[in-house]
Amino acid sequence: MTELFHERLQRHLREMAKYLRLVFNDFFVFALLFFLGGLGLGYSNILKNLKADQWWAPFVALLVLIITAQFGRYATLIEDADRVFLLPKERAMHAYFVQARKYSLVLAEIAQVIVMFILTPFLRVALGWSLMEVILLVVAQLVLKDALLRLDISSAYQVTGQRRMNHWAVKWLVSIIVLVPGLWLTPFLSFVLILFIDVFTWLWLEERWPKQQIRWREQIKIEDNRMLGIYRFFNLFTEVPMVAGTIKRRRYLDGILRLVKPTHSQTYLYLYSRGMLRGTEFSGLVVRLTVIGMLLLYFVRGEWLPIFLAALFIYLIGFQLLPFFQQYDDVVFTHVYPLTEQQQVKSFVKLVTIILAVAAALLWVIILIANPTVKTAGGSLVVELIEVWYLARIYTPRRLARAIKNRG
Amino acid sequence: MALEVSHVVGGYSQIPVLKDISFDVQDGELVGLIGLNGAGKSTTINHVIGLLTPHKGTITLNGVTIAQDSQAYKQQIAYIPETPVLYQELTLREHLELTMMAYDLDHDVAWATAHELLKTFRLDNKLDWFPANFSKGMKQKVMIVCAFLTQAKLFIIDEPFLGLDPLAVNDLLQLIEKRKQAGASILMSTHVLDTAQRYCDRFVLLHDGQVKTEGTLSELQAALPEAGESLNDIYLSMTKVDRS
Repeated sequence: MTELFHERLQRHLREMAKYLRLVFNDFFVFALLFFLGGLGLGYSNILKNLKADQWWAPFVALLVLIITAQFGRYATLIEDADRVFLLPKERAMHAYFVQARKYSLVLAEIAQVIVMFILTPFLRVALGWSLMEVILLVVAQLVLKDALLRLDISSAYQVTGQRRMNHWAVKWLVSIIVLVPGLWLTPFLSFVLILFIDVFTWLWLEERWPKQQIRWREQIKIEDNRMLGIYRFFNLFTEVPMVAGTIKRRRYLDGILRLVKPTHSQTYLYLYSRGMLRGTEFSGLVVRLTVIGMLLLYFVRGEWLPIFLAALFIYLIGFQLLPFFQQYDDVVFTHVYPLTEQQQVKSFVKLVTIILAVAAALLWVIILIANPTVKTAGGSLVVELIEVWYLARIYTPRRLARAIKNRG
Repeated sequence: MALEVSHVVGGYSQIPVLKDISFDVQDGELVGLIGLNGAGKSTTINHVIGLLTPHKGTITLNGVTIAQDSQAYKQQIAYIPETPVLYQELTLREHLELTMMAYDLDHDVAWATAHELLKTFRLDNKLDWFPANFSKGMKQKVMIVCAFLTQAKLFIIDEPFLGLDPLAVNDLLQLIEKRKQAGASILMSTHVLDTAQRYCDRFVLLHDGQVKTEGTLSELQAALPEAGESLNDIYLSMTKVDRS
């Protein structure tokens, strides 16, 4: 079982490495360095002007520590098929879970150490602590994370009936109980408390788990959610096949959808419009880009910059919409229905035109509010109109023709 | 003659799964496509519905091939897949409407048919449901309703009997019978041989990408006299020859 976990871990790390290389591209690293540099500078300025023994300082420290303690989730790497294939090995699974906890613990403790390192000058200045006190708190925080991960592993078993020990409220409660006496009285108290809690949960679990069933379904769900969170993050930078997006009914949009008349030539528009508005993947993309564009345009001043930015955002939206054309390729009826590819392309072009026109109109209104000069507002209107027309009517059909050809 | 498959060689890649198969389905006839897993039933169906293009040979439906006029060809076909596939973002009502739009049906007439079918398959109170909320059997019923909504001349049904409750199987068989009376043809693949034996007019026995035999039950019995009476026996004996 230990071996199984290590095999999976290796595969997992390889996959993560592949995506991380894509995330940390030159541009992003550059931006990140700037961002961190600015943040560091701001923090050191605040520290310089800080007076000792502020009443609010322990509250800030408490909040930072509690949130930090939740960093680093329990990564089991278990898969859906495990509840069938590993069921006969249920007892042996504990060794697997222990290995998984070890791995999660290492990652989580690294995160704790980094945050504690950053927090140390604050504790020294604002709380006026000695180095010894800080070290005690750091150790307490590390043991706290150890205990929280014990709650996670205990929740893998049906030890506590229907109650889940890994509920976030339980974790926050434990963190508060441990940290409050430490921050307001002496960190020594935190240290003693958490040591007691950790050892107690450890002994309690050791005694109980051999008699209990594993909550397979729940563990698989937790792991799936964890991975989905990671994939969603990667999806911001690159395409991740595992992120499919979800579907929401959005009944309030039915009025818009009813505008598509149910006739033969509109079949694909009927399908695409519903897919677009109810699926979260592409609609989310369009809304995110439009909102970011609007915010940016609201704060940007200048003659040419707003025109350029609006054009850029419309291009980004139009470009990202293209893969939606193939959204239904794996539904056999898309091919069986007596419809032609020309009809499909025509409907898609119509959809793109509408979406881009709405986005362009919204961006233009913001330009009108933020930069109400004839040159900027008029110029952007002309540029946007030409761009929407070109993207939707010329560029999109050309790209789709190529996509259809590759379809074979 | 409704469907004519003639000397088709084809498959998913360059390696052919189907090795020169020929058979036909007449108007008002229910033909059973019988074969083991991997015999080539689904590949045959995928060729007929136009998902795959034959390497060699032709598939003609009432005188039209897909290459000549794909819309006229597809207009005549309704397909019920083995594994139900639905558009995740459309409700049941919208699936029906989409089918009507795609086949360019008269909405009033089609909805009248639809309501009748929905009632038969006990889906009439689930019109606003999303596919995610349907069980596998219900999804299969949605496929059936969508297919029988159309006025297709050829129904292609891939393994309909697994996953449906006995009541629905019976209702489906009655629907097939009614459409047969109206002159439509049906090509159906299945493993449920005793049902096939009772309802199919003719059988095409596929084995290893080839048509082993075809004909009515009595023709098959005459061709393989020592095999036994039932379709099951005939089929088993046919595959046994190959195994030894």
